[in-house]
Parts: sequence; C-alpha cells; structure tokens
Amino acid sequence: MFVYEKKLQYPVRIKNTNPALAKFIISQYGGPDGELGASLRYLSQRYSMPYPELKALLTDIGTEELGHLEMIGAIVHQLTRSMTPEEIKKAGFETYFVDRTAGVYPTAASGFPWSAASMAVKGDVIADLNEDLAAEQKARVTYDNILRLSDDPDVNDVIRYLREREIVHYQRFGEGLRRTLEKLDQKNIYAVNPAFDR
Amino acid sequence: MDRNQRDDAYRYGCLPDRAPLAAAYVPMQCSAVPAYEPGEALSRGTLFPGLDLPFMNIVNSNLKSTPMTEMMAIDFVADELELYLDTHSDDAEAFAMYQTFLALQKEARERYVQLYGPVTQTDMLGMRDYAWLNNPWPWDFQPKMEV
Repeated sequence: MFVYEKKLQYPVRIKNTNPALAKFIISQYGGPDGELGASLRYLSQRYSMPYPELKALLTDIGTEELGHLEMIGAIVHQLTRSMTPEEIKKAGFETYFVDRTAGVYPTAASGFPWSAASMAVKGDVIADLNEDLAAEQKARVTYDNILRLSDDPDVNDVIRYLREREIVHYQRFGEGLRRTLEKLDQKNIYAVNPAFDR
Repeated sequence: MDRNQRDDAYRYGCLPDRAPLAAAYVPMQCSAVPAYEPGEALSRGTLFPGLDLPFMNIVNSNLKSTPMTEMMAIDFVADELELYLDTHSDDAEAFAMYQTFLALQKEARERYVQLYGPVTQTDMLGMRDYAWLNNPWPWDFQPKMEV
C-alpha cells in the first residue's frame, strides 16, 4: 500500500520558463534510464528477492524513485509554465507541444514513449542486483549530461541532488549484493537461484 | 562535521579478506558517522560525507530554512538512515540515530501541518475543513510564492 505525502523530497522552484531545457530533462521522466523505469524496476524485482534486507532495499529505493519521478515532473511542469507560441517555436518544442500541449508525458528526449523494454526483471538475485547497479550508473551519467547542457541554476540544484542519490543507491545495491553473496554457498555461489530452487 | 578533520577513513569501506570469484564487490560502508547536519545533508543529497561525490566538484549551497525545508531535511535524514539500516541492521549506533530522527520527524511534521495544512490525509484528524484541497500542490511554484 502506498500513502501520498503532499511534499517533494527536495524543493523544485524554477523561476524562468524554458521549454528548451524541458525537451531533454523529460528523458529522466520517461526515458531509458529515467525515474519511472527505476521505480518500476525495483518495485517489480522485489517479489523475487529471497532475503528481507533485499525486500526492504528494493521497496525503499523503488519508493524513493517515485518521489524522484514527481520531482522531474515538477521541473518539466515549471519549465513549460505560461509558454507563448513564440517561445515554443524558438525552443523547438512544437513537436512535443502539438501532441501533449504543456502536459507531462513519460517519453525519452528522442520522442520514444516510455518502454518496459528499458528495464529488466530476471527473477535472480545476482542478475537483478547487477542490473540495478548498472541502472544507477546510467542514471548518474544522464544527470551528468543534463548538467553539461543546462545553464539554469534553479534546475541544476535539483539535478545535482538527484545525481547524488544515484551514487548513494549504487552503494546500497552493492551492499545488498554483498549481503547476498555472504548467504550463498561459498564454494559455488551460482549453485542455485535461492528465489526459485528450494 | 569538522571540515579540518585530517582522518579521511570515512571515504573508504571494508572489503572481505577472501571472496568467491566471479562476483562484483562494492566495499561496505563501515559506519553511519561522520554524518552531515540535516540541512546540509538535504542540500548535498546525502547524509554521508564519504558518499558525497559531486560532478565537477560543484555542490549546492544550503537551502533557505523554512518550515517546509526543515521538515524535508529531517525526513531526508530518516530516509537516508533507512537505506543504510536495510544493509546494516546490526549497527546499534545508526539505529539510535534513526530513533532520534523519527522523534524529530514527528515534531517537524506537526509544526508544518499546523502552519500549512495536511501532508498526508491522516493529518486532517480534528481539522475544521477538508484542507487536503489547499494550495499549493508540491509541483506548483510561482516565483512570488514562498512556503
């Protein structure tokens, strides 16, 4: 069960409308390494996690990612606040605008809509945790790239915060993998899948 | 945290003495201390100086202190300690810290709700009207508005 908290995890207060930035930041809403994929990846993988530490970790990080999805949505919403048709055309935002107006839709910056093909659920603790480690790194790089492209300090504050969260999550997934390895047969960690072979 | 502290042990974690082949190893974080103060933790995106690895070494300046950011900062420390405890459930010192922050979280939440309205629907117990509908919603920000 989920309960909504009417607050963001970190404040999003963007003073200036700027659809040119919204065009690529939206990739962290619905792109291949974005927050929607992150939350669904962890919240789906948790069913086949064999140990309580991992059930907790995937639940807690997956839930936090939903909060990050909301923050990215808030950035896109505020960057497209009260846009004029001139601003839309000048920013090259018309390809998005014509289909979605100023709505927030889960899509990659390339225009490809969010796809479950950008995430995986393998049902094996070692495989899934290795996917999660890679996913955090890819999200971190996407935030690095956004920082390279964006010159709005109000946006960059939030992006730096979200980027740092990826590093903390990487550490925790790595520790989750360590806790897993300790529980497995030390002579052959691949002898069984503890979520499937009883 | 003492910025002049010369000991940088907190930047390094613990690896096993012996480890089975064909697996990836991330060092365990050894301790939940040192830790940033809540406001600095929220601005930096982590409670832990050892995990604070900013791009191009640019860090956010501290957020302006308001009842909202104070609540966010304490909630953030509690969340950050939860993730740490998920993989360090036997760390008694971290669990004691977590208890302290759960108490602070309750106070900060009550203070905020009194001033600005409910954060969750259960916060409305005893309220005179259905304040859930009150503006602002979290994603709305007008440059003139400040909560």
